[in-house]
Amino acid sequence: MPSAIEIHGLSKHFGPVRAVDDLTFEVPEGRVTGFLGPNGSGKTTTLRMLLGLVRASGGTATFGGKRYVELDHPVRHVGAVLEATSFHPSRRAEDHLKSVAIGAKLPLSRVGETLDLVGLTDVARRRVGKFSLGMRQRLQLATALLGDPEILILDEPANGLDPQGIQWLRTFIRYQASLGHAVLVSSHLLSEMEETVDDVVIVSQGKLVLQTTLADLATRAGTSTGMRIRTPEVPRLTTALDAVPVAWRQVAPDTLVIDGATPEWFGPFAAEHRIVLYELVHERGSLEEVFLALTQGFEAAAPGGLQDGQSAPFHMPGADQ
Amino acid sequence: MIALLRSEWLKLRTTAIPWVLAGIALVINGLLILVYFLNPGADRGGPGQANPNVGFGPPNPNVPHTIQQLRNLIGTGIEGYLFALLLGVLIITVEFRHKTVTTSFLVTPRRSTFVIAKLVTAALAGALLAVVMLAATVIGGGIALSAKGGSFTALVHQGPAVAPGMILVFVLFALLGVGVGSLITNQVAALIVCLGWFLILQNIVEGIWNGTAKWLPSGAAAAAANVTAGRDSSFGLLHWWQGSLLILAYGLVFAVVGSVVLARRDIT
Repeated sequence: MPSAIEIHGLSKHFGPVRAVDDLTFEVPEGRVTGFLGPNGSGKTTTLRMLLGLVRASGGTATFGGKRYVELDHPVRHVGAVLEATSFHPSRRAEDHLKSVAIGAKLPLSRVGETLDLVGLTDVARRRVGKFSLGMRQRLQLATALLGDPEILILDEPANGLDPQGIQWLRTFIRYQASLGHAVLVSSHLLSEMEETVDDVVIVSQGKLVLQTTLADLATRAGTSTGMRIRTPEVPRLTTALDAVPVAWRQVAPDTLVIDGATPEWFGPFAAEHRIVLYELVHERGSLEEVFLALTQGFEAAAPGGLQDGQSAPFHMPGADQ
Repeated sequence: MIALLRSEWLKLRTTAIPWVLAGIALVINGLLILVYFLNPGADRGGPGQANPNVGFGPPNPNVPHTIQQLRNLIGTGIEGYLFALLLGVLIITVEFRHKTVTTSFLVTPRRSTFVIAKLVTAALAGALLAVVMLAATVIGGGIALSAKGGSFTALVHQGPAVAPGMILVFVLFALLGVGVGSLITNQVAALIVCLGWFLILQNIVEGIWNGTAKWLPSGAAAAAANVTAGRDSSFGLLHWWQGSLLILAYGLVFAVVGSVVLARRDIT
């Protein structure tokens, strides 16, 4: 799969602070890559270096081998949504888009088309100062789409969007990928992105933690299992459990957690001992938990990033609840 | 570059900046004309007084009629070059104030190109401001002149003598403004520096070092406009072209240093 974006050994130092530290990853065409990490992990700085807004201290960030500044018609190749506040408040939405379209030598018809695409046609003549944060996000997206770029870079695009807006954004991003476009979208919340992304690039403290597919991440999450059982017969159940080699904990007067147990094992076990059950929950670590463990575990240990297939330096969530 | 200039022009006219600045400049200009006519005889003709017989109007000493008086009247707005300077400062610093510079740099990744587009836009805007102020002065001043029994036509005839100098000075100061703004991108700081210099510091410098006045921006402006009224002629002035080159040099030094600094600046 050809790559749309190549980040190689990218670094940014602010004095002694290494905001981005020897970061390397690629973004393939036709897929949505989630660029994930806690706030302050260097995501925005990385994206801004990629777009030529911030000077790299070292390494390269290129689009098909060319730096942003070297692209012939950058706006036709790359669309970027950075902060949602970069508008002159007294300028009308339509005039803002026109100024970009004219400067980038794009047909003015694109202004109406992109306004339509993001659902801002009705407020085209309104001053941006009157816009809500969600509307500004949409206008920023419209700006990025003016040149119909094959690469989209979105920095925390879900910020300020209401649930419908987030749903709309997901559909929009998936549609862009279906056109064969590459989408790199950053977020500090994996849960926000887990229905949207194909691949994940996880960073923490400016370093790469893991680049893999979402499916692989889900597998890692799925392996951390346990059973949560609510029963009126706690004493009989604990007696029965003590006879088999499993670890269990009582988490409430009527609730036990059995580590590592599966429904396939526990169902027949409960039937055999004729124990009444009120509730039977198969617990898996969520993607968000894996994400948190990856980024936090990384902060505690491990210099240098992990590549696909290596095991991560973290404790499986649920293993020590 | 043409596309970029059209884009910059659209950006400029879709904000309040040029309209507010031009509005203030015109109001002050109007007040100056009003004061001029309420205070007859205030203008004794300046350097033109030595040759008062070339006037066109009636021989009424209270009505401006000598060539120099008429030229001074048309040039009422000359000090408005400060507004051209502020216009230049605002044209570039507004991008940083509202962070629109992010989008501008995505469209134009080469930052020197961005500064050049701003310089050209400011020059055009400065010229337009000068033309509007000249037109307003000729119309407003001409009507007042006619009402007082002076000659409207005589005033209009002196337009071509004054207009080029005034347009030139406005253009040069708009360029200087962009230069300053490209170096001092913080809007408030840039405005304070400009106003602080022209309203306070410049007078102090002139006071301390005699003979520096003609080398300072406003001395150079007076030379470029070839309007010496209101300034003691014993200071002496450069030739108009020397003054013009001097202002241009000030502006370009700021713009070049500003571009170099800007090229290295992180837009966060």
